[in-house]
Amino acid sequence: MDGGHNCMTEFIVTINNRKFELSISEEGKVLIGDRYIRTELTEITKNAYVIRIGDSVYEISSNKLGADKFGITIDACYFDTTVRTKLQETANELQKNKSRLFHHSDVKAPMPGLLLKLKVKVGDEIKIGESILILEAMKMENELRSPASGIVKSIFFSEGQSVEKDSIIMTIE
Amino acid sequence: MIKKILIANRGEIAHRIMKACREMGIVSVAIYSEADKNALHVRRADESYLIGPSPASESYLHKEKIINLAKEIKADAIHPGYGFLSENPEFIRLVEKSGIIFIGPSSKSVEMMGEKTSARRLMKLNNVPIVPGTTEPITSIEDGKKVAAEIGYPVMLKAAAGGGGKGMRKIDRDEEFEESFNRAKNESLKAFGNDDVYIEKFIEHPKHIEVQILADKFGNYIHLFERECSVQRRHQKVIEEAPSIAVDNETREKITKAAIKAAQACGYYNAGTIEFLMDKNKEFYFLEMNTRLQVEHPVTEMISGIDLVKQQIKIASGEKLAIRQDELRIHGHAVECRIYAEDVDNNFAPSIGKIIHHRLTSGPGIRIDRGIDVQSEVPIFYDPMLSKVIAWGIDREEALARMKRALGEYQISGVITNIPVFNWILKQKAFLDGTFDINFLDNEFLPLVPDIWKEKLSENYEEIAAILGALLKQKEMHINLSKNCIEENNGWRAQLYD
Repeated sequence: MDGGHNCMTEFIVTINNRKFELSISEEGKVLIGDRYIRTELTEITKNAYVIRIGDSVYEISSNKLGADKFGITIDACYFDTTVRTKLQETANELQKNKSRLFHHSDVKAPMPGLLLKLKVKVGDEIKIGESILILEAMKMENELRSPASGIVKSIFFSEGQSVEKDSIIMTIE
Repeated sequence: MIKKILIANRGEIAHRIMKACREMGIVSVAIYSEADKNALHVRRADESYLIGPSPASESYLHKEKIINLAKEIKADAIHPGYGFLSENPEFIRLVEKSGIIFIGPSSKSVEMMGEKTSARRLMKLNNVPIVPGTTEPITSIEDGKKVAAEIGYPVMLKAAAGGGGKGMRKIDRDEEFEESFNRAKNESLKAFGNDDVYIEKFIEHPKHIEVQILADKFGNYIHLFERECSVQRRHQKVIEEAPSIAVDNETREKITKAAIKAAQACGYYNAGTIEFLMDKNKEFYFLEMNTRLQVEHPVTEMISGIDLVKQQIKIASGEKLAIRQDELRIHGHAVECRIYAEDVDNNFAPSIGKIIHHRLTSGPGIRIDRGIDVQSEVPIFYDPMLSKVIAWGIDREEALARMKRALGEYQISGVITNIPVFNWILKQKAFLDGTFDINFLDNEFLPLVPDIWKEKLSENYEEIAAILGALLKQKEMHINLSKNCIEENNGWRAQLYD
């Protein structure tokens, strides 16, 4: 180790649903897992690169597809790559969860049953995790909690009605 | 003598024809639509003229505009390429009337082969084998059912005016007949403005084999062997080869003879192709005749050494064929891959845009016919074929190895291409051992779309792609960082000087 470790930027690259975690130093030294790889990148044009990785040189063409997306072609193989710094990846995950929290959300019946009790009404403001209804199934009372925070937009069933599995009981916005 | 040719086409085929003109000392004229003003075929022509707005109907399909321009600029001949107006008898008739030479067959031959049921009648009359079925359009469901029962299910319904898979339906049972019949009629009315359909026996596991012929205006006919075009996606050819691995000498003898008979039957001259279906027992049946130059003509050129476009021009200018059949030999093996701008994993949607990087492949046995270069637009208005990679080898194995190598070297950026698909095909056992038939891609490849087909193909390179992606991202971050630094510095300096 030569102390370059401290100035390394961590990246998460996603290709075909596979995630690669790698760190790159200022000088282009790449760390994947516990392997250090020497690389040297030469730009031929904005869309064509020559890259030395260890003992081999690869000619690669690329398309910029979005803020963190590159289409990369090597030897007639094409890869859709999503590249984020570790920080961006974390922010991205948070953002995804956040949108789950705040965007419109359906409350679905997880199992067929009898709608025993509705604890909220249209217009109520509710918080994620708040108990909203009781569904009786297989002689058991199941408490359903809200999957999102927001306002109850509509309710499609009333107490005493039976619901099928996956039917939407209410929507929250 | 032809001294000046107007090429009524665009893309790679216009470019290809211009190369022949240049080599023969003939002036080539490009026409182009507004979308094509920077296209390669315009750059490579001796003269070029804007013909109209981008939609093909107002430019490359506008018969009168094209003929008037040809007269105005004193072109001796018009080469139609393939597609567009190449097999339009009305256009050819107009050209013939204008006194300009049409580089292709007579309008009469095109007409005789254009309507499928009459072509089938003509072939039957001339002892060219046709797929068992009707040679007249089906007039009623009852009649159709009777015919289908006679030849035996499964049967195919086909549009008499058709092509390209439209108005085509497979029927497995009597109960399906009525609905399929109505649907096929509707489809073909929409696609061709004619709802005549006919019945053919369904051929199990057929190969698409076609024969290239040349004929002059003096009744001399030769063939340039067969091509194998069974690798198709929904009736669109993707890979073509010459010769066919499935055609032995005896079959070759028979099928080429049948092809020449077919060409003679319609009084054909110029270059043409007779398409056949061939079953497992090497029985072959006439499918249709393409009365023009074909996309896949280069594989025939590579194995025969004959420049088909030059032959077309010579024949059109009234020369006798200078090649004798007994001088022709199959030399080696050639294969062609059609490179399309298409997003395979997004339902094969055309990928439009500007080519921002284009590095050709080359080396032993490689030929590229292309319609693009750096800065070319790939417009939405036309067929998204960018180029064709053709590989020649002393045998099939070498040709395929060269193709694989060449595709690895070929780089295109700016649009998404189907190049990786060839990587998949070139690794399939059925393709390599020659057992594939026309259903190969539809049965083996399409179920793996989207994305699954890529999974095992390229694992070796995933890590390299990941490294490059991260390095590119890092570079971008640095550029942004140094931009900020400069701005900050400037701000600081500005304050200082204030």
